[in-house]
Amino acid sequence: MRFSKLLRKELRECLPWMLLAAIVFFAFGGFFLRAEAYFESDRHYSRLSPGTAVDYYWLTYYSILNVTGPWLFFLSIGLGLVLGVRQFWIPNFTRTWPFLLHRSVSRKTILAAKLTATMIAFVISLGPVWVGLYWYASRPEVFAVPQTLRVFIEGWIFIMLGLVAYLGTALSALSTANWYTTKIFGLLLATVIIVTTLSQWTLAGIFTSIAVSVAILLVQIFDTFLRREF
Amino acid sequence: MKLKISLKHIATPTKIFMTVLIVLLAVLMLQGIIIQTERMFSRTKQFSAPAKDKEELTEEEKRIDRIRSSSKEFLPDGTIHLVHKPRRTPGRMDEPEIEQIYDANDNLLWKGTSDKRPYEYLSWANQLRRYGFTREQMKQMQMITPGFSRFIEIPIGSDDKTVQIWRYHPGAQYFKGYDINGEKIGYIGSTGFTNSKSKAKPFGKFRFFTAWCPQNSSNPILLWQTQRRIYQINFERQNVEMIFESTDSDIEIEKTSLHAWRDLKPGAEGSSDSKKYRPLLLCVTEDGKHHLILREPERQFSLAVPRSSATATKQGIFVHCSGSDALPPKGIANSRELYDKWLQERWGKPRNFWVELYKVDNQGGLELLNRYDWTLPPQSESVVRARDLRLAVQRYVSQFSPPLYDLIFHLLGVRFWSSAYYYQHRGDFFLDLIRTILDFRPYGGVINRVLSALMMGFAFLHGWPRRTSWAGFVFWLVFVGMFNLAGLLTYLALNNTAVIRCPACGKPRGLARVDCVRCRAELPAPERGKLDLIFST
Repeated sequence: MRFSKLLRKELRECLPWMLLAAIVFFAFGGFFLRAEAYFESDRHYSRLSPGTAVDYYWLTYYSILNVTGPWLFFLSIGLGLVLGVRQFWIPNFTRTWPFLLHRSVSRKTILAAKLTATMIAFVISLGPVWVGLYWYASRPEVFAVPQTLRVFIEGWIFIMLGLVAYLGTALSALSTANWYTTKIFGLLLATVIIVTTLSQWTLAGIFTSIAVSVAILLVQIFDTFLRREF
Repeated sequence: MKLKISLKHIATPTKIFMTVLIVLLAVLMLQGIIIQTERMFSRTKQFSAPAKDKEELTEEEKRIDRIRSSSKEFLPDGTIHLVHKPRRTPGRMDEPEIEQIYDANDNLLWKGTSDKRPYEYLSWANQLRRYGFTREQMKQMQMITPGFSRFIEIPIGSDDKTVQIWRYHPGAQYFKGYDINGEKIGYIGSTGFTNSKSKAKPFGKFRFFTAWCPQNSSNPILLWQTQRRIYQINFERQNVEMIFESTDSDIEIEKTSLHAWRDLKPGAEGSSDSKKYRPLLLCVTEDGKHHLILREPERQFSLAVPRSSATATKQGIFVHCSGSDALPPKGIANSRELYDKWLQERWGKPRNFWVELYKVDNQGGLELLNRYDWTLPPQSESVVRARDLRLAVQRYVSQFSPPLYDLIFHLLGVRFWSSAYYYQHRGDFFLDLIRTILDFRPYGGVINRVLSALMMGFAFLHGWPRRTSWAGFVFWLVFVGMFNLAGLLTYLALNNTAVIRCPACGKPRGLARVDCVRCRAELPAPERGKLDLIFST
């Protein structure tokens, strides 16, 4: 009961950012995808002439959904940073941690409520819009060749990277070290993981690096949050 | 409380891992910046080193320079000619490109514009890599950029409209086809076309492909190279032909080359005279064998000639090889020490080069038709000095790298590292990173070991009054020793607690422990003040 109340409180605080991310992604992603559907007939074709060598450039294609990719990626990272700052950094500046921590719930419950709220925020703000855009792009009357499952998974990887950015921000906010020493290491690790993920080509490698980084960040967040003085 | 305690046991190692990872990357970046800055300056020096003008060269030097820059061409009867193209006057692009043709005895045979050349030389198979799509590019294509990964799609058209699209699935290693209404057509795999997924057989591990449109169609044909096979795929006819299979060893990606194989229109880039030449494919397997696959009629040979190219006219099959004692021996790139030693031995010595032309008989035997040798003087001193400085800076900068890199290098083995070297600069993030680490490994240097020992000494002095357990203290000393500068910075980042003078023994002691590490005296209780009245009630 206490947990659900805390969860609702956290969700209430996340709500404006969730809505903003969902609306921006739906509006811009949808607009560019619709525009791409309009020009679909120009997509492949007839750049190849008889009796000539074919530059492989003409045979490699992005998914039609690539117009939505940067929106999803940057919105997800942005949402992660904003929620991390909102939940862990702002209470430092406004000195409101004691008001939250003095409640008759354990610190573990408070932290779990924050993390759960963030995960829900990511899934219900960007997730349904992404599923909707993928479904739209996969309809044969819109694009003849169906979208690959890999592109769908990559969309969810972007959403997970937002979560990595959130955890990195949270760890940096919770750290009591000076900003010029190890305080920013949480954010740096998140950056390294995001760059590493974007440099891999196997889904197994990507999921492994995300899982390892999430585990590293989560363990430290719990440890710091349960131990530190506020 | 239990969670707190168990978390501490996991959180501490993860914190160390995270910190050392970031510090290692920071040190690596710093080393890279130093090396690149130095290279920038040494390159400027190298280029600004005084070089002789053409006018200052002696007649003999001019002759050697001409031989060096001439292309060595063969006539079908084996005669060799040296084709030299003098540089145009700077800024005079309107000048026609003149070429001079010399024979092997350095007699000028002809001079004029290349389109009026009176000789028709043999043209040779070109490496596919120049105009193909490689395994590394396939990996790059699958990387998830913010615009998602890409894929290979082969459009098949009819009457200027695309009617089919064949998409390659890297996981399943076959193509899947769709018509323009989004309906599935079928699959193309190693056994050809099938409309059932269960019957589609994978091509095998992708290595390379090149594509062209034949003269009678605008639909591409693919030459598809896997680990041990080469296929030709015609999507329009839904036909797959296996051109070559190696049963014993893998096919080298770099060395597959083609001549007159693709049905290109005359004058198109890469085209050959189909009336004069037979279609030829040359591939090299990792066991060093060169395989010649010919058409019209179909023939296949295996040859053992290093650094070669081939061509097949209607009259005969020719193999062309080149060599030099100025090139490092095979396998030497795996060892920097051996390479440096070889380089030192080579400096100051003249460099010998040669080209050879062989004719291949019907049994695949080779008959030497002609050979041409030439010698170049040693490389200039200015280049030697610039390179030495670069190596010296790299050597000193590498001394701050963890000795652990050397251990990892030896554990992973030569084969792994040579592969990392081989694929350098091809966009493979991890191999590039590994190669960079390889560049910065300390090579067991004495300075590196001394620096590690000094840093361990510093960590000892710093950690002695602050130690809370012997195990932790020893761990950090070993850690600093293994990671050098990165280890010391990590140690300081995670262990730098405040120190006070012990009131009992007067020596420094950390505040992370309640008793003094030397005299075992506990921390003094704070003096009673006015506020204590409140707390005592």
